[in-house]
Amino acid sequence: MKSMNKYLVLLLITGFGVFPGLKAQSDLQISKVFDQYGERKGVVMVELTDEMLDGYDFSLFKSITIKDNTAAGEFIRKCLAKDEIGAKKVKQVVANGVPTSIYLQLPRKEQLYRLILFNETFRPEHKITLIYIESENDSEDVLKLILKKK
Amino acid sequence: MKISIKHRISYGEADRLIERYYDGLTTVEEEKRLHRFLAQSGLPERYQPEQAIFGYFEKKKRKPVFRIQLYIRWASAAAAVAVVAFSVQRFTAGKYSDYAYVNGVKITNVNEVKSQALASISDVTTDNNEVEKSFENLNDNELMQQQLDVFSGLGE
Repeated sequence: MKSMNKYLVLLLITGFGVFPGLKAQSDLQISKVFDQYGERKGVVMVELTDEMLDGYDFSLFKSITIKDNTAAGEFIRKCLAKDEIGAKKVKQVVANGVPTSIYLQLPRKEQLYRLILFNETFRPEHKITLIYIESENDSEDVLKLILKKK
Repeated sequence: MKISIKHRISYGEADRLIERYYDGLTTVEEEKRLHRFLAQSGLPERYQPEQAIFGYFEKKKRKPVFRIQLYIRWASAAAAVAVVAFSVQRFTAGKYSDYAYVNGVKITNVNEVKSQALASISDVTTDNNEVEKSFENLNDNELMQQQLDVFSGLGE
């Protein structure tokens, strides 16, 4: 039993050392979207860590683009409804009573600013885009930079 | 007399107890007395084997000290593993965690992954055009006039 405890301590220490990056996003409901839809057909999922992306300095960038899947849209909206608790809603566009565009500034996690961007378009094709960003830069600055460079 | 005060038992008594000890006849109380006797310093050399035996048992009884050493050893090992794992994670994170899945196919080419990331940023911000358009619509005098005309027609 004692030796088992020692193995457990060893495992925990190793785990916290190796996977610190996975923890920040795992507390969010949208992580389920990436898990469930990420590797399906008609889907593009991207993950970048500690990369400069056309002037953006991200600690973590995750995005998923899903085409022609209304069920996925509903699922994402449900996840966002939970994740927006305690978050600052920067933008929301509602069409026919359904939110089609949402920008959320999440509470900081340790030193990281966190953002969720969601958009759903119906023309020329049905396309859902969900982005999760972690950055050491202020999320407002990141957002301004993204919108400026569109 | 002096010896018996210092050692609590005389050498003769000690010799008798040692003999009984080796024969396996000593009681717990007698072993305690023998232990106290042998724990003293400055005893004649002939008691060294017995001192070694009791000293050995004494060391075996010191479990807490042994445990602490064991924990220190485990903690050192755990710290070493953590440092190695953390270093590996730090050095490999940028190289191997950049990827994209396109229709279920994994892509690790960084340029291609970045291109997909930029495309998704572009997708998520396109809706701003619609917002701007709606603002433009609000400022459209012609549209406003048309809407006012609808209401003015109601009064007639």
